[in-house]
Amino acid sequence: MKVKKSGGAGAAAARTEEELGRKALIGPDDVLGLQRVTSDYLCTPEENVYKIDFTRFKIRDMESGTVLFEITKPAASEREHNDRKDIDPNAGRFVRYQFTPAFLRLRQVGATVEFTVGDKPINNFRMIERHYFRDQLLKSFDFEFGFCIPSSKNTCEHIYEFPQLSEDLIREMILHPYETQSDSFYFVDNKLVMHNKADYSYSGGP
Amino acid sequence: MGLLTILKKMREKERELRLLVLGLDNAGKTTLLKRFNGEDVTGTAPTLGFNIKTLEHRGFKLNVWDVGGQSSLRSYWRNYFESTDGLVWVVDSGDRERLQLCGKELRGLLREERLAGATLLVFANKQDLPGALPASAIREALELDSIRSHHWCIQGCSAFTGHNLLPGIDWLLDDIASRVCPPD
Repeated sequence: MKVKKSGGAGAAAARTEEELGRKALIGPDDVLGLQRVTSDYLCTPEENVYKIDFTRFKIRDMESGTVLFEITKPAASEREHNDRKDIDPNAGRFVRYQFTPAFLRLRQVGATVEFTVGDKPINNFRMIERHYFRDQLLKSFDFEFGFCIPSSKNTCEHIYEFPQLSEDLIREMILHPYETQSDSFYFVDNKLVMHNKADYSYSGGP
Repeated sequence: MGLLTILKKMREKERELRLLVLGLDNAGKTTLLKRFNGEDVTGTAPTLGFNIKTLEHRGFKLNVWDVGGQSSLRSYWRNYFESTDGLVWVVDSGDRERLQLCGKELRGLLREERLAGATLLVFANKQDLPGALPASAIREALELDSIRSHHWCIQGCSAFTGHNLLPGIDWLLDDIASRVCPPD
């Protein structure tokens, strides 16, 4: 249960989304080999059989203590009242972040997620998150939560040094909103059960 | 991969430490974790699962696990023992009625094989509250002096004000480092 950081492609063999699309079971090593953001989700919402539900995302600047971003959503049980059949099934799987250019100059940030799990215990819960600008991997984050208590609400805050980016790259990222993207893959017992996506703008507005 | 790279990687892995924060419910585990990381501690709710923080402190990469202390959750604590380098046992120093239970739960943990290699830090928390027992009284009530199986230390503190948190954590890291990280 250690944080595993892989700076680049790491030890995992290079994989393409097309190769993974033909696999029945997608595991951690598969996504660690991806070289770019996927064009589609690698699993369906129905594969989330442990009913893992992300209910809060928060980012704070450790130097000033300021909360830069916070989004919460009511627990699934409270959302069911207004369940509509015609909504986009991928709606809950995508987050769009809008930051100012100053965000890219931060030195240390704390990123919190809060999630609930269903009434079955989870033995080995692992998250792999990969951030890209276009086809360049900026950061790959690999963390094992391990065991999750049935019907629990859990939080995890990673406090980390912001990756040092070159001036050229920062300029490009500001000029091209939403071309910075991330894939978050969640595994239970090494089987992909959830895939969320996000994109990012640093141009200071919608 | 060259030998130097392998050695460097081993060193990095050694400097990654796992701390497990346990104690009865309402001991102040989550408040302690939040205060230590400069977060707002007002309105902290009972933990119905875990709170994890990963952070860097004094060149160590710390993975800190705070697991809820309600009686219904304590049977799940065992799932978090693996690879623990440091056990932080948090005590509500004002909760005289449950001191005996508190000692019993702690002794149960110290018998766990998977915690055998962990250093124990006891925080006698809530020293800011009137009526709180001093650390010396908690030490006696929990019979800490009879512990032979683990390196241990008790520190009076206030998670709410932040008083004495740093000295406690630093002692814990020094003790773990002296065991698992040989000097350069």
